[in-house]
Amino acid sequence: MSATTSLKFEFVKGLWKENPVMASLLGLCPTLAVTNAAVNGLAMGLATTFVLLTSSLIISALRNFIPHQVRIAGYIVIIATFVTVADRFLAAFFPDISATLGPYIPLIVVNCVILGRQEAFSSRNGIGRSMLDSLGMGIGFIAVLVTLGSIREILGSGSIFGFSVMGDWFTPWMVMILPPGAFLTLGILIALANWYNDPSRSKDKGVVS
Amino acid sequence: MSKLPLSARMILVLTLITVLSGGILAAWDSYTKPKVEFHRLEALKAAIAEVLPAHDKYETRGSSVGNLYLASRADSDDLIGVAFMAVGSGFQGELRIMVGLTPDLSKITGIKVLEQIETPGLGTKIVVDPSNKQDPYWFPVQFKGVHTSPDMVVIKNAKPTHKHEVQGITGATISSQAVTRILNETIVGVKTAMTKHGGLES
Amino acid sequence: MSLFLLFFSAAIVNNFVLSYFLGICPFVGVSKKLTSAVSMGLAVTFVMLITAVVTWLIYHLILVPFDVVILQYVSFILVIASLVQLVEMFIRKVSKPLYDALGIFLPLITTNCAILGLALFSILRDYSFIESVVFGLGAGAGFTLALVIMAGIRESLELAPIPKYFQGAAITMIVAGSLALAFMGFAGMI
Repeated sequence: MSATTSLKFEFVKGLWKENPVMASLLGLCPTLAVTNAAVNGLAMGLATTFVLLTSSLIISALRNFIPHQVRIAGYIVIIATFVTVADRFLAAFFPDISATLGPYIPLIVVNCVILGRQEAFSSRNGIGRSMLDSLGMGIGFIAVLVTLGSIREILGSGSIFGFSVMGDWFTPWMVMILPPGAFLTLGILIALANWYNDPSRSKDKGVVS
Repeated sequence: MSKLPLSARMILVLTLITVLSGGILAAWDSYTKPKVEFHRLEALKAAIAEVLPAHDKYETRGSSVGNLYLASRADSDDLIGVAFMAVGSGFQGELRIMVGLTPDLSKITGIKVLEQIETPGLGTKIVVDPSNKQDPYWFPVQFKGVHTSPDMVVIKNAKPTHKHEVQGITGATISSQAVTRILNETIVGVKTAMTKHGGLES
Repeated sequence: MSLFLLFFSAAIVNNFVLSYFLGICPFVGVSKKLTSAVSMGLAVTFVMLITAVVTWLIYHLILVPFDVVILQYVSFILVIASLVQLVEMFIRKVSKPLYDALGIFLPLITTNCAILGLALFSILRDYSFIESVVFGLGAGAGFTLALVIMAGIRESLELAPIPKYFQGAAITMIVAGSLALAFMGFAGMI
């Protein structure tokens, strides 16, 4: 199957059709926790993409050497190593972001998106394809985080990326930056995605893409 | 490689991965650790500077309530203030407050809430109150000059009349009272540590 | 904070699932039936308890004295993975029906953010050994509570006419949001 799918497909699929959050409901912990502001979602998305790319590179390169029985243990060590690198990087060079995101950066270690991609794809495909797959998934993940973060920030703080956009007439909806707001917003986004993806809505019925 | 028995291969590969991981992390650790420590110290210095009058250096001493930061000017060792972290339960979670006291520990020179997870828009007014356009930092700023004994008290619905009283936040009584309670409790320990010569760990 | 308040805070006021978003994956996946929710909650609490103990010991007796704190995440996740493996084998031996009921979700406890999150929070807040244990118990209790309430609600939802696009994950999230809102009412009790 993978020999005939185009490289472009490997990259594009992570953006919507196989979007890690919207399609597979993976990585919900960070998605809900750090999206109270758009910039936090962006930082978390970038950190996750970094870990995705680096661990895919190593795991794909070593895929024929790691015995099947110990593959999960091996993947976990590799992923945890790069998460530590990313976490320390933020603490050393972007201390404010590191303080805001707090313990949710190390929680990238248990982000199902990463382990899921390694198990499903990088362990069975070449380096090039694996990197493209990871890049697509990463960007798809960033897109969801930034969207969720923007909605919550606009409605909950009246700003986006720190820039005030709503003006004085607007009373912020405090609940949006609190946990209930995260759940509700994600629920509505998923419902919207279901509506968008509904095959019976499409003009050319019967076309399965 | 494939000629080795499975158990040997498993151990070899796992060991290799772990050793590589250890190597990368050790190198990264030595590169980043000084920077992380630098940021931590800078943040501490900035917090202390906000709660104490102008000073050039401070000495750190341990005590039963945590570190005490004794500040002085460059040319002399005369104490110009004592800063410390007061920690305790707020309304929703933990509060961490940097506090500054005069050298005789009788008055507060400043407070700064460093960590809190209070209710946004209400309890968070202990840090900053955006609804008060003239004076958004009125809550922490009012602590300057407040007397530490008798125990500090929060006044609701009226203006404070005594020197140990502070104005509470309407709609966030518990958060306001948490601040004074935590301050009162910690200051007891600070006073003990500063008066008893043996109370300070050098 | 007194130990009782610590337990209460971790279980209810700052519930791991509804306030910190830890443990959402099983929350969405396992909370369809009440019985599996209870079993999952207990299994997670058990793993949390042992994790709290072992990670505290590793951090304070090995990582800090040898100045290798940078190995924190690698060592913690390896410990958790091994613990889950052991718990899996134990449950399989003791109760095969329970093992079958939990199915794939048992090994998935390894990637449960709540377990690693518990270990990380304890270190971050500088808890003593006893405080870490109580915190672990409280977190597990809170996780189980949230899961059980969710399962109860979802069992009733099976009979409700839910709009087409909201069926499945969307309505689960919205119910979770309502639960989170309700739990916010517990603030101020500590």
